[in-house]
Amino acid sequence: MWKNIIIHPKKCTGCHLCELYCSFHHFKINNPSRSRIHVVRSEPYIDSPVLCIQCGLCINSCPVGAIIRNKKNGAINVLIDKCIGCAQCVFVCPYGAATIDPVTKKALICDLCDGEPECVKNCPEKVLEYVDSTKAVYYKNLIISKLLKKESVPLEPYPK
Amino acid sequence: MSEKIFGYAGQILRIDLSKKKILKESLRKDFIKKYIGCTGYAAAILWYELKPKIDPLSPENKIIFSTGPLTGTLCPCSGSYEICFKSPLTNAFGESRSGGIFGPKMKYAGFDHIIIEGKSDKPVYIWINNGEVEIKDAQHLYGKTVHETTEIILEEIKEPEASIACIGPAGEKLVRFAAVMNDRDRAAGRCGGGAIMGSKNLKAIAINGEKDIEIANPEKFYEFVTEAEKALLKKTALRRFGTINAITVLNAMGALPTKYGYTGFFERAEDVSSERLLSKYLIKRRACFACPIGCGRYSEVKHGIWATPPHEGPEFETADMLGPWIYLSNLEAIIKANYLCNNYGLDTISAGNVIAFAIECYEKGWIKEDLVKGIKLEWNNPETMIELIKLIAKRERIGDLLAEGVMRAAEKIGYGAPELALHTKGLEMPAHDPRGETKIMAIKYAVEYRGGCHVHSGFPGLYDRSPESLNDYGLKQFGLPWPPKGKFIEEGKGIAYRFFAIFGQIPEIMGMCQFASMGSEGNMITAKDYANIYSSLTGIEMNEYDLMKIGERVYNLKRCFNVREGFNRKDDKLPKRMYEPIATGPVKGEYVKNLDLMLNEFYEAMGWDIETGIPTFKKLKELGLEDVAEELKKI
Repeated sequence: MWKNIIIHPKKCTGCHLCELYCSFHHFKINNPSRSRIHVVRSEPYIDSPVLCIQCGLCINSCPVGAIIRNKKNGAINVLIDKCIGCAQCVFVCPYGAATIDPVTKKALICDLCDGEPECVKNCPEKVLEYVDSTKAVYYKNLIISKLLKKESVPLEPYPK
Repeated sequence: MSEKIFGYAGQILRIDLSKKKILKESLRKDFIKKYIGCTGYAAAILWYELKPKIDPLSPENKIIFSTGPLTGTLCPCSGSYEICFKSPLTNAFGESRSGGIFGPKMKYAGFDHIIIEGKSDKPVYIWINNGEVEIKDAQHLYGKTVHETTEIILEEIKEPEASIACIGPAGEKLVRFAAVMNDRDRAAGRCGGGAIMGSKNLKAIAINGEKDIEIANPEKFYEFVTEAEKALLKKTALRRFGTINAITVLNAMGALPTKYGYTGFFERAEDVSSERLLSKYLIKRRACFACPIGCGRYSEVKHGIWATPPHEGPEFETADMLGPWIYLSNLEAIIKANYLCNNYGLDTISAGNVIAFAIECYEKGWIKEDLVKGIKLEWNNPETMIELIKLIAKRERIGDLLAEGVMRAAEKIGYGAPELALHTKGLEMPAHDPRGETKIMAIKYAVEYRGGCHVHSGFPGLYDRSPESLNDYGLKQFGLPWPPKGKFIEEGKGIAYRFFAIFGQIPEIMGMCQFASMGSEGNMITAKDYANIYSSLTGIEMNEYDLMKIGERVYNLKRCFNVREGFNRKDDKLPKRMYEPIATGPVKGEYVKNLDLMLNEFYEAMGWDIETGIPTFKKLKELGLEDVAEELKKI
C-alpha cells in the first residue's frame, strides 16, 4: 500500500531542520530555499511545515509531460531533463508545495525520498509522520471534524 | 571569488555609512586558517582596523555582524550570528550572540561578515537581497518599536521570508545596554551593540538569500551531524522546561541571585518557576534555526493589567533579573517586562541589574528625592519595574541616569554606590552567583574579556556543580583537572577555567550556540566532534588539538585587544558584594575568599605575566601572533 506524510502542526517549533535535510538529500548542499518542504512562521502563533500531499494535480498541468507518478511508491517525480521551468505546476498547486529551484530554475516537488522521507526521519519534534494512506485519511477526517466543531488540534507544547 | 571555499559564503560586505559606499571583499584564507570565523575573524578585523582608545559611540567604531562556517548548515544549533564591536559599556572588546534565522540568511545571501563603518547623516536601514545591497531611508521608522519596525520593513521590501535585525527606541537614544534584536524577539543583548547601531543612525538590516552552502565531504558530514543531533536530543530537561528551569534548580542550591545579590535563596521561587510558566502562559516552544533542542519559550498573558501579545520568552536570565533580583515574584509582570524590553530593544540582564541597583541606592538614601518624584523605588513592586524600563528606554528623568549602565550611574550617584554596583569592567553581572553556585564562576567573571558575563566564553558552571557531576565537557583528554574537587574549593579553579575559556571559543568561532557545548560526551558536541564536522564541511583537515590551539589564539587576541585599550590585572576584579557572605539559604555564609590565588593560577596556566595579566611575548609568538605582540610592546 502507498504511504503518505501527515503533519501535526502544533508540535512544530519552527527549526527548519526538515528543509535542511530535504535540500541536503537531493543536492548535497545546505540551502532551505531549495527544499521541497517549507516551514511557515506566521505571527502570531503559527509555525508549521507545508508540504506536497501527492495529489497529482500538477501531473496534468505540465505542458511537456515532465511530471509523472512513481508506480512503486506513489510519489510525484519530476523528470529534470524534460522540465522547462514554466511554473505551471506552481500555479496549479493549491498548497504552495511546488516551487521553482532558485539555482537550477526547474520544478521542485516532494518525491518522498524514494519511500524514505528524510524530513520525517530527522524531525526532532516528530511533527511529521509517514503513514499508510488509510491512516492519513482518518487523520484528515479528524481535522475536518475538529474544524467543523471549531475546535483546535490538541496542543502539545513539549515532548513527552 | 577566486577559489571555492566549502562551508563559507566566501565574501565580506563592507558598508561605509558616511560615504554611502558598499564594498564586497573576498574572505582572507590566512584569517580562516588562523581564526576560523565568526568572532575569531571579527576580532582580527577589529584588532587591525580599529584605532586604540577611540570613543565607542563615535563614527570611528565599527560593528561587525559575523557568522561562522557552521552557520546555516545542517549542523544542529548552528543558527547563530554574533556582533562584534568596541563596547560602549566597558570600552573593551564587545561581542554578543543571537539565534533566530538572521545568521543563516546572511550566509544564504552570500556574506560571512557584514562590517558597518562610519555614521549616516540621517536614519537609514540596509536591505540585502541575494548579494544586492541597498541603503534605504528610515526616517519614518525612528521611534518605532522592534515589532513595529519589523512589520513595516517586511511590508516595504515585499519579501515575507526576509529576516530583520533592528534596534528599538533604546538603541536610538544610545542607552548603553541597548540590544540588537532580530526576528522580533531574538536578542544580541549584551555589551550595548544597539547603542553602536544607534550612534551610526542605522535602524535595521533586512536580509534574504537563496544561495547554496556547499559541503566538501557530504557523506561524512551527514554522519557527524546526525550523530550530534542525536546527542543533543538527550537534553530533555532543557527541551521540556527551557532555560527558566534554572530558577528552581539554582534556588534549591541556594544560588539564585535575589534582592541584588543580597542572598541566594528566594522563598517565593515557586511563583516564577518553569512549571508555572508551562501551565499558565506558555503557548508552545520555539526553536532557532536548525536547533533540535528548542529551549525558546513562546508565551502570552491573555488577560489583566499585564496582558501582552504572544512573544518569545522569558528565558532564565530575564526571569531572574526582572524577578527575584528585584525581589519580585509576579510572573505576569515579568512576562510583560520581557515583552517591553524586547520591543524597546533593551538587554534584560543589564536592565534588571540597574533597576535593582537604583532601588537599593534609594533605600540607602543615596538618590535624591526630586529625581524619583512619583516613582515608588521599592523592592517587589512590579509597577516600578515597568515604569523604570519605560524611562530607561526613553532616557527620561532617572532613566537617563540608569541608561548609562550601572558603573557610570554609580559614579554619578556617589556615596557608596560605586562599591555596591555589581559589574566587572562595566558590564552588569548576570543571574549566576559565584558565591553559591560554584567558585569557577568567580574567576570567570573576573577575567572575562567582555566583563561580567556567564557565557562568553563557555559556561563552566556545570563542571563541579554537584559531587557526582559527570560534566567534563569532553575536556579530560586535554588535561582538565578531574574529578572536580568541590564547588566551594577555590584552589585549582584558575587552572580548570583555562580549559573552559579556550574550549568556549570554539562554538563562538564556528557560529554555534553555547548550549550545544555543555555537558559530557554523548549529550553535547565536543571539541573532537567540532573538528570532525568542520573538516568534513570545509575540507580543511583539522583535529581537536588544532581546534583548541585556535581557540587559545582567539582568546588571547581578544585579551590583547583589551590590553591595548589599557586593561590589565587591576581590572580583573569582582564587586565588593562577592566578598560578603550570602545572607540566607542553604549555603548561607559562602563568599569568595581568595580571588588573587585563582587569578595567579589562571595567568600562569595561560602563559600570561602574573604581575600584569598581559599575555607574554613568548606565548603570543607560540600562538603565531608576533605582530600583535610587537604592537603591544609599543604601549
